[in-house]
Amino acid sequence: MTKTKPPADQKQPVVVIKQLTKKYGDYTALDNLSLTLSAGQILGLIGPNGAGKTTTIKILVGLARPTSGTASIAGVDCVRDSRSIKSLVGYMPDKFGSYDNMRVREYLDFFGAAFDIPRRVRIPRIDEVMEMTGTAYMRDKYVDALSHGMAQRVGIARILLHDPQMLILDEPANGLDPQARVEMRELLIQLAGMGKTLLVTSHILPELSRICDQVAILTQGKLRACGSVKEIGRQVSQQRTIEVQLANEQSIPAAVKVLGGVVDASNVEASPAEAAVRFRTDLPEEGLGPILAALVRAEVPVTQFRELQTDLEEAFMSFARPTEAA
Amino acid sequence: MANPIIQRELLSVLRRPGTVLVQCILAIGFVLLIAVRWPTEPRVALSGARSQEVFSLFAYGLLAAVLLLLPVSPATSIVREKNRGTLAMLFNSSLGPWRIFFGKLLATLGLAGQMLVLSLPAAAACYALGGISVGNILATYALLGLTAVLITTLGFLVSTYSASADSAVRWTYGLVLFASVILLLPHFLLVGASGLTGDIVRWMRSLSPIAAMMSLHGAGDFGARGLLTTENVFARFTVMATIVSVIAAVWTVKRLNLTLFDQARDSGTIADDQELGTRIFRRAMFLVDPRRRSASIGPWANPVMAKEFRCRRFGRLHWLMRLVAVCAIISLALTILTTTQTISWDVGSIGGIMVVLQVALLVLITPSLAAGLIATERETGGWVLLQSTPMSVWRIVWGKLLSVIVTVALVLLATLPGYLVMIYIDPSQRNEVQRVGVCLLLTAAFVMLISAAVGSLFSRTVTAIAAAYTVVLSICAGPLLIWLGRDAPFGHDTVEAALMANPIATALSVIRIPGFRDYELIPGNWWALGIASAGSLLVLLWQTQRVSRPQ
Repeated sequence: MTKTKPPADQKQPVVVIKQLTKKYGDYTALDNLSLTLSAGQILGLIGPNGAGKTTTIKILVGLARPTSGTASIAGVDCVRDSRSIKSLVGYMPDKFGSYDNMRVREYLDFFGAAFDIPRRVRIPRIDEVMEMTGTAYMRDKYVDALSHGMAQRVGIARILLHDPQMLILDEPANGLDPQARVEMRELLIQLAGMGKTLLVTSHILPELSRICDQVAILTQGKLRACGSVKEIGRQVSQQRTIEVQLANEQSIPAAVKVLGGVVDASNVEASPAEAAVRFRTDLPEEGLGPILAALVRAEVPVTQFRELQTDLEEAFMSFARPTEAA
Repeated sequence: MANPIIQRELLSVLRRPGTVLVQCILAIGFVLLIAVRWPTEPRVALSGARSQEVFSLFAYGLLAAVLLLLPVSPATSIVREKNRGTLAMLFNSSLGPWRIFFGKLLATLGLAGQMLVLSLPAAAACYALGGISVGNILATYALLGLTAVLITTLGFLVSTYSASADSAVRWTYGLVLFASVILLLPHFLLVGASGLTGDIVRWMRSLSPIAAMMSLHGAGDFGARGLLTTENVFARFTVMATIVSVIAAVWTVKRLNLTLFDQARDSGTIADDQELGTRIFRRAMFLVDPRRRSASIGPWANPVMAKEFRCRRFGRLHWLMRLVAVCAIISLALTILTTTQTISWDVGSIGGIMVVLQVALLVLITPSLAAGLIATERETGGWVLLQSTPMSVWRIVWGKLLSVIVTVALVLLATLPGYLVMIYIDPSQRNEVQRVGVCLLLTAAFVMLISAAVGSLFSRTVTAIAAAYTVVLSICAGPLLIWLGRDAPFGHDTVEAALMANPIATALSVIRIPGFRDYELIPGNWWALGIASAGSLLVLLWQTQRVSRPQ
């Protein structure tokens, strides 16, 4: 699914985090974190357990105070003006927070009233967010009887009620089945398309890589990498990996011979089972054309010639492993 | 151990620091109980009256400890395992329902047994004083053991029916209060009755461990008013408690199977969408149908209050209407029966019944409503959601307290017509009724605030409710144990001082109920309740502010 980009005037930084540090006694949960996020963007915050993701979120929503540094959302200081922040942010924690004997509509009505939305505005707004999140059919169901996927959707409906500029979602895809995960992904992209700025944490990295404009990798409270998935992949591996798909297995020796002439032979790897050859190179994009031309000239039957993206999972592990070892 | 459940349940509880703390407190408490009543005169009482007095006090203290501390464990035992999914694992193991039940039973009784063992040095000290036979001590411990079995089996049964641990705790404490105190009331009111009515109330009374303990220690009978009873209450208690325990045990085992999990999620049927006939039937049954679509929260209502009413099963309007209707009907029926001379009670007796019913309702309902106000939110993750709204902490606390105030006020107001009729029949009662009104209001405020304050100190609803019930019942029932020994061993001044903190006794003394009319408890009690309520409110606000503060 293609994300609808927000209008240009919305590309202002909404979230500005500067040198944010949070210490609990001797333990440093967050160490000098700096980040910015523009309107309509989706930032994926990833890291192993205890990396500082939830601490960052808690500071942003005014539930924790930083030891030093500043954080602001839409120009409002998250620490000094935590009350105003609540109107600007919709926060969905990893725990749903259900109430017994309460129907979905009553649940949303309560949070609408808690955000001081007048009744005449609240009633149509509830219908609107339920429609938007696909929860209209569960309006009369009890919230404590909802499945996990349903509850996550109701949670998103809840945070949309007061029409916040920014949505912060802690592990929204956790525990969802594949279909619900796809639906959640589409919903988040739809919300970003509406100009909402999203900060999402998740352990399901392929999900994040599909929806996020930016990814920030945190380990042991430190920001290890930040940028688009492609940029992060480049940070992990300075060389790009190119895959040459051939028409048949018999063409592999010919392909290896040609490629060995243009790149270091130790960087060429054949996969007979897939009828493919992969090679790593630090050539720029414009340097790849002559390689393809050389293959064609040598009459190697090339069916596909493409760059393999570094997997987010791979990138994450390359940052997580050294810190774990340390 | 042959049964793995005993090992798991007993050892896991014994390893908790809280258990060690409670054990230490109990051991110290028992020692102090004996120490403060230890004779200091350089004379020997050959009759052994002094040692019997010390032993009685000790036995009542032990009984109170069993009644107040034990119910939590069996009440949460099954429902917690069910909700965590470990019960399903047990069902899929080679352990049958009987082994699961006995494993849990023996583990809980092991805890109770350990509590009783801690008291043995104090019991030995009483024996050393003389005047107490080994038979006396054994009978007392047998009664305590039987009480523990009764509470445990009832707790298990309640646990199999409950959807959450906190509701199981509420119902179990309610049952314990019913069996030990409420069952004494018919006998108290109909003392001396003959025929079938007399037999029924005497047998009902025999299920109360308090009555059995009184009988065992020769303290006469609860509310006997000088009448001698010939039956052996202890023997009757043994029979009744055994029968009830066996029934509860068999019933529990029958329910221990996979059907506990075989329940569909509530589909959330709405009465508005049903057929006309169904709608009319439901309207007639409910007055306020819980399955009708509720209106949106109004502009003047505190959203937290509305939420509290909606998310509590008992808080729903149809339950409140039923409760209010029952209270109103009982109070009016009692007063009308008096005017028509159908029964030969005087206005004072009717007032006494109404006061006892109201206070019992307050003591039973209010802690369950107020204790979990903060703890439930913290446990379910709702507190974070509330904190992410612009509502201030004060508005949240006020909304929560308001939901309890409205419920309790409705219950109190429902009996107002009964009091009005009382004044109409006997205008001289006007003063007493007014004072009783003040007592009830203060009692309601006190029970609500102390329950909320105690409950706010915990992050788990079950612990919060158990702690609140323990505190409230200790204050409301504890001094009554001293009152039971008002002729011997305790003197008038001691009893009066003990009752000064007791809201039930104060209300009964104000309405001049026999046994309480000799004590002057106001305004002392009003001051005590007022100060305790204000202190509790401060604790509640401080604790709420503390848990809301950014980390």
